[in-house]
Amino acid sequence: MNTTLTAVEGERPCDTMGADPSVAIRVVGLKKSFGDVAVLHGISFDLPRGQVLSIIGASGSGKSTLLRCLNYLERPSAGAIWIAGHQLTFDANGEGARHSLSAAQIARVRAEVGMVFQQFNLWPHMTVVQNVMEALIQVRKLNSKEARNRAEHYLAKVNMLDAAARYPARLSGGQQQRVAIARALAMEPQIMLFDEATSSLDPELTAEVLAVMRLLARDGTTMVVVTHEMAFAREVSDRVMFLHDGLIEEDGVPSVVFSNPGSNRCRQFLSKFLG
Amino acid sequence: MFDLSLFWEYRAILLQGMLINLLIFALSSTLGLTIGLIACVGRLSSFAPLRAASAGYIEIGRSIPEFVLLIWINNVLPFALSTMLGERIHFSPILSATLALGVVASGYFAETFRAGIQAVPRGHLEAARALGMRTPRILGRIVLPQAIRLMLPELMSQNIGLLKTTTLVSVIAVPDIMYQVGIIGQQEMKPLPLYTGTAFAFFLVILALTTLVHHTHGHLRRS
Repeated sequence: MNTTLTAVEGERPCDTMGADPSVAIRVVGLKKSFGDVAVLHGISFDLPRGQVLSIIGASGSGKSTLLRCLNYLERPSAGAIWIAGHQLTFDANGEGARHSLSAAQIARVRAEVGMVFQQFNLWPHMTVVQNVMEALIQVRKLNSKEARNRAEHYLAKVNMLDAAARYPARLSGGQQQRVAIARALAMEPQIMLFDEATSSLDPELTAEVLAVMRLLARDGTTMVVVTHEMAFAREVSDRVMFLHDGLIEEDGVPSVVFSNPGSNRCRQFLSKFLG
Repeated sequence: MFDLSLFWEYRAILLQGMLINLLIFALSSTLGLTIGLIACVGRLSSFAPLRAASAGYIEIGRSIPEFVLLIWINNVLPFALSTMLGERIHFSPILSATLALGVVASGYFAETFRAGIQAVPRGHLEAARALGMRTPRILGRIVLPQAIRLMLPELMSQNIGLLKTTTLVSVIAVPDIMYQVGIIGQQEMKPLPLYTGTAFAFFLVILALTTLVHHTHGHLRRS
């Protein structure tokens, strides 16, 4: 890890990343506490463009918090993040967090980073196609015809075009999640984040969502996937990271992490899943 | 005592009285909704002193009985203001009634607004934020459309309650329907059928309103 990348104030688009345009995400010394409870103790990693990173670990290991810090849904306490050509920087001097980013800057970063949630979070008062169109109109400033065309394109991609006029409550969990994926994809983000996207689905519905995620990975989408689907992580990821107590305990290609992990904790964790 | 012919005979003046009830209802409901919205925004604010002040106001509004507050605002408040300002202040009975009923209603409305807004799942806001939407748009497009649907039935029944409460205002000499019934009852020495008529009149007005509420609610559910 490049240790010269200490925290600098403010947002400097592309500045530091410019040296290495092949990196989609760079995280340096990321810490996050909720009150007195420290959840992330200092996470650092680089993710090259086009790669799929799976983050695994027990509940409470900090994997969802890490993911949510990447698009600022959680404010990091310290450390620095470069993502999608933007720099989200925090005070690393231990004097508490300095949040110099404006709401507009944060919104710009988020527009480039798609996120899919465990609970789908479709808006129930809008139809499927309206759910996908909303941010295209409000954020991407497309007119309603362009937004509809693009929304339909991405709904077709997740095989949900037939349900365009229906309300989310009429759909199965798997269908809702596929719409949520289309909603994020339609923004044409540089990076996609998946926060336990299949954890609230039964196995059959999980399969249809994983199929869509496989398709994205094959297309070369940069993805960070927090998951309990070990088979998926093993098969689709370029890289697997095992988190334990807010630290990266194991980080490598799936064949090594799953077959021959260096960490005992990782081995124990995997044995519960792989038998 | 169930003979409504006396009630019918005085229908013009009784209708006038009922219109005063409806006027006070409209004024105090508007006032209550406005103050209630402000108090709700204060209650949800991240600024602690504002949150505490709003919570205090809401509790006071909900704790004082309308009957007591009517008399207090009509008699004590002008007296206190007169003493403070050194000039004679007088509230018209309709103003006192509007203020008293509006303040009490605002406490209940504020809590209904808050419940509606907080019932919108947090994840719906996060999904909007994660797409790069900004707070005003999220409120306008995601939170309020859902919150209003959730709070509407409760708001409507609270408003019906408020309309019923307007029958208390004769205590401060507002010439509402109960006030007129009292006068006519004394003149004619036959108050009982007049009360029956008034009960019936309110039943009809509120039945009409409730039907409207159910109709609107059903319509919203379908959409």
